[in-house]
Amino acid sequence: MPSAAGVVVAENLSKVFYTRAGAHTNGGGFRTAIRALVSPERVAKSAVDGVTLRVEPGELLALLGPNGAGKSTTIKLLCGILTPTSGRVEVNGVIPHQDRIANARKIGAVFGQRTQLWRDLPARRSLEVLRDIYGLSAADYQARIKEFDEILELREFWDTRARQLSLGQRVRCDLAAALLHDPPVVFLDEPTIGMDVVVKEQVREFLRDQVNRRGRTVLLTTHDMTEVARLAERVALIDHGRIMYDGATGGLRDLAGVTWQVHVTVETVPAVIDVPGMRVTGALGEFLTFVPSDGSELTPRQAVRQLIEHLPVTDIRVEEPDLEDVMRAVFASGGARAAAE
Amino acid sequence: MPGRVTEFTRAWRVVLRVTAANFRGRAQYPGDFALALAMGLAWQTSVFVFATVLLTRFPGLGGWTSADVLLLVAIRLLSHGVVVTVFNSLILMPYITQQGLLDVYLVRPMPVYRQVLLYQFPLNAMGDCFSAILLFAFALTRLHLAWTPGKALFLAAAVIGGALLEGGVQTLVSILTFRYTIGISVFMWFDRMIATFGNYPFSILPVAARLVLTYVLPVAFVAYLPAAVLTGRAGLGGVPLWLAYASPAVGPLLYVAARYAWYRALRRYESVGG
Amino acid sequence: MRITPLTELTQAARLLPPLAMVVTQLALTFWLWHALYHGVRVSAGLDVTQATTYALLGVLYLQFRTVDRWSNGDTMVQLMMDGTIAFWFLRPVSPRRYYLIRAAGDLAYGGALALLAYAVCLGIGAMASPPSWPAFGAALLTLALGLVITYYLQLIVDLMCFWSTVNDAAVTAMSFASGLLAGAFAPIWFFPSWFQRVNEFLPFQSTLNIPLSLYVGRLPVSDLGVQVAVQVSWCAALALLTWWLWRRAAARVTVLGG
Repeated sequence: MPSAAGVVVAENLSKVFYTRAGAHTNGGGFRTAIRALVSPERVAKSAVDGVTLRVEPGELLALLGPNGAGKSTTIKLLCGILTPTSGRVEVNGVIPHQDRIANARKIGAVFGQRTQLWRDLPARRSLEVLRDIYGLSAADYQARIKEFDEILELREFWDTRARQLSLGQRVRCDLAAALLHDPPVVFLDEPTIGMDVVVKEQVREFLRDQVNRRGRTVLLTTHDMTEVARLAERVALIDHGRIMYDGATGGLRDLAGVTWQVHVTVETVPAVIDVPGMRVTGALGEFLTFVPSDGSELTPRQAVRQLIEHLPVTDIRVEEPDLEDVMRAVFASGGARAAAE
Repeated sequence: MPGRVTEFTRAWRVVLRVTAANFRGRAQYPGDFALALAMGLAWQTSVFVFATVLLTRFPGLGGWTSADVLLLVAIRLLSHGVVVTVFNSLILMPYITQQGLLDVYLVRPMPVYRQVLLYQFPLNAMGDCFSAILLFAFALTRLHLAWTPGKALFLAAAVIGGALLEGGVQTLVSILTFRYTIGISVFMWFDRMIATFGNYPFSILPVAARLVLTYVLPVAFVAYLPAAVLTGRAGLGGVPLWLAYASPAVGPLLYVAARYAWYRALRRYESVGG
Repeated sequence: MRITPLTELTQAARLLPPLAMVVTQLALTFWLWHALYHGVRVSAGLDVTQATTYALLGVLYLQFRTVDRWSNGDTMVQLMMDGTIAFWFLRPVSPRRYYLIRAAGDLAYGGALALLAYAVCLGIGAMASPPSWPAFGAALLTLALGLVITYYLQLIVDLMCFWSTVNDAAVTAMSFASGLLAGAFAPIWFFPSWFQRVNEFLPFQSTLNIPLSLYVGRLPVSDLGVQVAVQVSWCAALALLTWWLWRRAAARVTVLGG
C-alpha cells in the first residue's frame, strides 16, 4: 500500500510487564531456574499506558522523557520487539509484532547502547554481511555505501574491528547499517548518548539530511532537551508511560516558558544594551543575564557570538534549560496536550 | 513453485555467508583456534580411554560385546558432533540476551532462532567431529555387522535424531534465558548428563535410573536404543519393540515441539535495558 | 585464602549442579565397573572391588582438585589481565608464599568436600577400605607428596601467564594430561605396557596412581621406599624449576610495570 509507506501509527498502545521478584538477580543458576517454575508471585508494572501517536512520511518526531518514562518501551513496541498488551500498532501498513519479517524490511533501527555489528570483524565486513541478509544488489549496496561515506566519513575507520571503534564511530556505522536497505521509517533509541559534541552534530546533520532530502520518517528517543531543540520540529513528551505533550518543539518551550540563558560578565556596562535577538532579564553590576527575545530563533552558540561582538565580555556562561525545568513547567501548566492531529 | 525454491536457496546462501563471516572473526585469534581444537579432543578423553583401553581389556558390558558398545559410543559422539556444529550457540544465549542482541535480531528480516544459531562459529565442533569420526572408524573395524542399506539409513537417522533430541533439550533450556539470568552452567548440566549416561548400555543401570533416562530425560533414544536395534537387541532394550525401532523419530518430535515453544516464549520476551 | 570457600557457601545454590554431577558420576562409575567385571575375576592385577575403589577415588580427585576461582575473577590469568597481579609483589608476604597459602586454602576446601564424599562412599559400601593400616599409611604419605608435585606443576602453568597473556591452552593441556596420566580416568594398570613404561618417566603418575595403588593393595607396602624416593626427586627438581621461574617472573613484572 503506497499510501501507508512511511507512516507510523500507535493507537491507545499499552504494555504491562509482569515481573517475578528476583527474576533478574545475580547468581542465576539452578535456584533461579527452580524458582521460575515454582514461585507464583507476580508484580505488574505499566510501562506504556495508552500512547497514541501518528507520524507522517518525512516527519521527524522526538520522543522526550526522563529515564524510565517508557520511551524505549514505546520504540520497542513500534519496532515489533515487544508485543503490546493492548492497543494497535501499524508501521508502513504492517503490524510489526505479527508480520515481523515484512516489517523488518521496511524499518531501520539504531539502539544507542548496543550495536548490531559483528565485534571481531572490520565494520565494512559487517555491512557486507547485512547486504546479504537484506538481499541488496551489488549496485544498490555500492551506491548506499558511497552516500553514507560522504556524510558520515566512514572510510576513515571502516577497516577497524567493531570492537575497537570509539562510540561515535560505532554509532555512525550502526546508522549506515540501519539505512542500508533504504527503509522508509527509522527508529533510534538514544543514539547520541555518551557522544562528544562534534559527533553529535554530525549525527544530527545526517538525520536531518535523511529526512529533508530522502523523505524518511524518523522517530527518535532522547532525554536531552538540547537534542530536541536542535533536531526536531515536533516533540512528544512522555512520562510514566503517558504522552504529556505532542506538538511543535517551540510550543513546548513556550508552554514551559523555559529557554536557554546566557550569563555574561562585562568589563564595563554600556549605557544602552542592544544585542539583536536577545533581551536582558537580569543585571547585577557587571553580571548580565540574557534570554532570547520573543520570536527569536537564536541558538546558544549564535548568541554567544553576538554577545562577544556587541559587548566587552570577559566571562560568559551558557545555561541550557534541562529536562527537569521543562517537565516541571509542563506539569505546572496541567500537562496540556497540544492538538497535533 | 519456483518462488519458494529460490527463497530456500537464497536463505541457505545467507546462512553460509554469515557463517563465513563468523569464521573469519574467530580466525583472527589463532591461539583460540588451536585451543578449540584441543578442547574438543580433551573433553572426549575419558570416552576415548574407556573405549580403547577398557573395552579392549574386558569381554563386554551389561551383556553387550565390546564392539557393540563401541558402536553405541560412536553413534552418540557422531550425533553430539552434529549438535555442536549446529546448535552450539544455544548454549551462549545468556550472552546473547545480556548484550541485547535479541532486539537487533527481531528487527532483521531473518528468523530469530536462525540468527541465534549463527551467533558464533562453532570452533570446538571441529575437535568433537574429528573425535567422533575417529571413534566410529575404530568401532567399524571391530564390529562384525552385516551392513545393509536399511541399516545404514537407520544409522544416519539415529545420528540426526539424536542430534535433534539433544538440540531440542538445549532449545528448551534456552527459553529460560528470555526472562531470567541463567548462567551457562544449566546448559552444561544437561550436556554432561546426556554425555555421561548416553555412552553406555542401559542394562548396567538399575531399573529406576533406566526409567528416568528413558521417559523423563530421554537419553535412551540418543544412542542406546538405536544401537540396540542395529546390534539385534531391540527387544531387550527395556522398551517396547516398536518404540525401539522408532527411536530416531523421538528427537525430531521433541525438537519441533521445542522450536514451537521457543517462538511462543519469544513473543513474551521483555528485553533488557531502556 | 578464605575468598573462595566463603563465596561458594554464600551462594549455596551454586553447589547444587556440581553436587548433582558428582553424585551421578560416582553412581555411574560404580555401575560401570561392576558391569565390566561381570564374569571376570581379575584383570590387570585388580579385582572388581579394587578397580571400583580406584575409579571412584579418581572421580573424586577430578571433581575436587580445582576450586572455582574463575567466577571471582581470581585466577592467575585474570589477575594478570587486569593488572592486579602487581599487588602480589607489593605485599609484605612474598608472592611465592601468597600463592602457596592460596593453594593450601583451595586444597583444604576441596579436600574437605572430597573427604566427605569419601566417607559417604565408604559408608554405603561402594568403596573398600585399605587391606591394612600400613597400606593406608603408605597411601597417605605418597598422596601428600603427590599433592606437592601437583602444586608445583600447577604453579608452572600459572607462571606461564607472565610470558603470554592467554594461557587457557596450557591450563587445559595440563589439566587433561595430569588427569589422564595420573590415572583419574581409568587405572593406569589397564593401559598398554608401552604407555605405562613411558608414564613412569613423567611426574603425573606419582601424584595419584601410586597412592591409589597402595590404597587398594595393587602395590605392596614394601614398594613404599622406592616410590617415595621417586616422588622426592620430582619434588626437588620441580622446586628448583619453580624457584627459578618466580625470579624471572618478578623481573618481568618490574619490566612491564615500568
